[in-house]
Amino acid sequence: MFEKGFPQDKLITYSGMLWLLAAQIVVMLPLIFYLPIWLLPILIFSAVWRIRVMQGHNAQPGNLIKIIIGLLGLGALAASGVKVVSLDMMASLLMLGFAYKALEVIQRRDGMVVILTGFVLIGVLFLYNQSMLIALYGVLSMTVLTGALIAIQQSKSYAILPNLRLSSMMLLLCLPLMLLFFFFAPRFEPFWKVPQTSGHAKTGISDSMTPGDIAELSQSDDLAFSVKFEGKRPGQNELYWRGLVLQHFDGKTWTQSDIPNGKGIKIGNDRLSEKQVAESIVKRGDSVEYEVIYEKSGQPWLFALTPVLEVKGRAFLGGDFRIISYRDINEPKLLKLTSYPNSLREVELSDYDRDLALQLPENGNQKSRFLADQLMASSASNQEYINRVLDRFRQDQYFYTLRPPTLGSENSIDDFLIDSKRGFCAHYAGSFVFMMRAAGIPARVVTGYQGGKWNEQGQFLAVHQFDAHAWTEVWLEGQGWVRFDPTAMVAPSRIEQNLETAMESEGSFLEDNFLSMSKIKWLDGIREKIDSAQYAWRRHVLGYDKNAQQNFLKKMFGELSVQKIGLIVGGLFAGIILLWVMFLGLARKRETEAEEHQLYRRFCDLMAKKGVTRDISQTPETFRRFAMQELPDLAGEINHFSQAYSSVCYDPSIQSKHQSYIDDMKSLLKKLNR
Amino acid sequence: MNTQLHHEISSSLTKLNKVILGKEQQVQLAFTSILANGHLLVEDLPGMGKTTLAHALYKVLGLDYNRVQFTSDLLPADLIGASVFNAQTSSFSFHRGPIFSSIFLADELNRATPKAQSALLEAMEEGQVSVDGETHDLPKPFFVIATQNPQSQSGTFPLPESQLDRFLLRISLGYPDPAIEREILTGKKGRASLDQVKQVLSKESLLQIQQLVPEIKVSDTLLDYVQRLIAQTRQDELCHLGLSPRGAIALVKSSQAWALLQGRDYVLPEDVQAVFVSVVGHRIVGKTETQGDQLARHILHSVDSVGGGVAAVA
Repeated sequence: MFEKGFPQDKLITYSGMLWLLAAQIVVMLPLIFYLPIWLLPILIFSAVWRIRVMQGHNAQPGNLIKIIIGLLGLGALAASGVKVVSLDMMASLLMLGFAYKALEVIQRRDGMVVILTGFVLIGVLFLYNQSMLIALYGVLSMTVLTGALIAIQQSKSYAILPNLRLSSMMLLLCLPLMLLFFFFAPRFEPFWKVPQTSGHAKTGISDSMTPGDIAELSQSDDLAFSVKFEGKRPGQNELYWRGLVLQHFDGKTWTQSDIPNGKGIKIGNDRLSEKQVAESIVKRGDSVEYEVIYEKSGQPWLFALTPVLEVKGRAFLGGDFRIISYRDINEPKLLKLTSYPNSLREVELSDYDRDLALQLPENGNQKSRFLADQLMASSASNQEYINRVLDRFRQDQYFYTLRPPTLGSENSIDDFLIDSKRGFCAHYAGSFVFMMRAAGIPARVVTGYQGGKWNEQGQFLAVHQFDAHAWTEVWLEGQGWVRFDPTAMVAPSRIEQNLETAMESEGSFLEDNFLSMSKIKWLDGIREKIDSAQYAWRRHVLGYDKNAQQNFLKKMFGELSVQKIGLIVGGLFAGIILLWVMFLGLARKRETEAEEHQLYRRFCDLMAKKGVTRDISQTPETFRRFAMQELPDLAGEINHFSQAYSSVCYDPSIQSKHQSYIDDMKSLLKKLNR
Repeated sequence: MNTQLHHEISSSLTKLNKVILGKEQQVQLAFTSILANGHLLVEDLPGMGKTTLAHALYKVLGLDYNRVQFTSDLLPADLIGASVFNAQTSSFSFHRGPIFSSIFLADELNRATPKAQSALLEAMEEGQVSVDGETHDLPKPFFVIATQNPQSQSGTFPLPESQLDRFLLRISLGYPDPAIEREILTGKKGRASLDQVKQVLSKESLLQIQQLVPEIKVSDTLLDYVQRLIAQTRQDELCHLGLSPRGAIALVKSSQAWALLQGRDYVLPEDVQAVFVSVVGHRIVGKTETQGDQLARHILHSVDSVGGGVAAVA
């Protein structure tokens, strides 16, 4: 079982290897939810091989075999469809190396490579998930990894618990340092954009609407964002979290007008500057102030009660009263917003905007156009026409369902409005806007979320993906854009309460999501507590960004300057080190030892500084010979000192000369110290 | 110490090492056991030279010697002897068994039944045997060398810890180095030279040396170390049964004898370390399957050999 050609005391022991394997599994386990799952079996394979080598069953693989299995791994990675320039690829490569390394971990320094990579991988995990649970898991991984770090340094095997205890102790000692870094380390914007994969990274509402999309969202109980109100909370039916404005209709799909190619948004926003947006709002009524934490979505769209007049955080007021983030949201984002829901928006409509809000495809949906002409002809005013259309939804046999029949691609509005009459918010909003435009009234589809679940425990509102909703805005003379929600005509309970209530009889709420915990009623109490804890985590830990840091530090220490911060950090750092010295120093209790022992300890420390470390079981005599051999220049002093110590300790015949021996030791120590 | 005595000791060792090749450490330990007036347990596979060691020892010491092969049908009387009716004198007279010898070799002790084993062990502890209410003193010095096959072999009655405790030291000879084995195979050295071994140490000298052992000085610092070792056997996480006070006494006594063997009149930590595994290995029990010797080595490595204080610092 011994490897040839390596110094025996630098090899990792069998139990060290098992430790390393356990730590590797712990580190890799959460990552395989985001990366190719076969990376874990590779680790097991490599580690089992290595362990069999240690047991003497197999031979250590030669370079050729290593190259072959390495190439196989790379091939598999290429074949598994991970995008070449992406975070996933980088992480997968790291994981692959990490897994293969288990095969050639022989010496301690190989183990160090594995362990350091492990620490990096724990960090990589946070690029994928930053929840509280993952953070706790990260702490666990660090403990096990540190335990392995201890184990590979041991030349004998110890029980598992003492190692874990020691590593927890080490991490606990580091805790003040971690907190120091958390509170004081400068928060930088990312230096480069991490290439995300396109597939699963984007969640939530997309920038176009084909009836069907929102039904998919309604099957997800992921959190979209959470809101904390300052002051009074608006009523449930007022909670229209407005996100995107879909102006353009091609007969099937509604899209945003300012991204014809779908190639990302124009940050400059051609049509209106932020200032102009603010100017086009006539402030009315009371304000609603609230704080929103948006979950990772991979998109820049933000959702708010419209119109927003004040934004604190990294976002701007875009055209059509949207709130847009400067970057895609790849980690939870905190904003403080102030809305004035009763304000008038764009009382003056420019011709360009009017054209946008009246756009319809040239052909198609003739029945609906005919219906619009008929209704318009018999209406005295635009308002009356709108009411008639809404009445039609209310009084005719329209059904709100998450299982609508498939619509034809040519005349999808006709199919729904005249024939099937079964659909959900996207159908109603889309056809309502069509009817408005067909009658020459400017209108547009708005998507976002409606409602949310109030968490009494944490006093915040949780808005989930299944709260996704589409409604409309119609421009009226003298009133600007006014919100109309045709869905409310058909299914008032969707707006007054929530989707779950509206779908009670149909039973289609989260019906495809078998694993969803949201359906289990008796868990509600616990869920509320967990949600509330997670909210606090997002708000105070993940939400501790540049602004929050500045506010916090100002509150704690008053006005800040670089010198002041430096002084504070330096002071805290010194404090932590003092704490360590006290703690570790007290743990040793050497003060109680007799003088000769203290002198000998100093001698050993001195030798250790010169690179000759005494193992605790080495006797003064053995160590004397060892040290003399290692440090021939000091052999004389070492010899004298050790002999004096030995005599003082063990030879009773010199007791009368005890003090002179101690004096000798002192002077020798001084000599050695030079 | 008397230079004459020391000369006799070292030439005895030289003689022994000529017979038992390449096992200086074990030979010294065996000799330590004799000097400390304790009994020796040799545990090894068959054919490793256990018996040869015993032979060489009795020849060097010039003592009378008996050997009994232990088997499962061995009775206590086979060892101790029995009262036999003498028709001429019309009385019972005691016929001494093989145990009445200065060096008694109990070969394959663990093959005998516990009854026979305990008869031997009682004699070892008391230094005398009682038959029919009469007490018979065993000769002085009285020294038992018991050999034992590892207990995993079939057909054996393993000795319990309490009885293993009666042996001062347990050694195992182990396989010889390839070079040494070569010499043995050529047949000119080793056992072949057993016949040429002559008495070196007289019985009187031996008794004299045995009385010198307790005089070897043990300093406070050394006792600190011994107590740290003992404490470690009692608190180590791998240890189930720690060292008893009797075991601790044995440790000090053996260390003194070892120091004497080195020609020193005070004990150093090296002496303790040299005998530690042999003294402690068969007296402690691990929590897992760990062998006592291995455990003893682990303890030796976890205790600081210098410094004051009796608390073990792991």
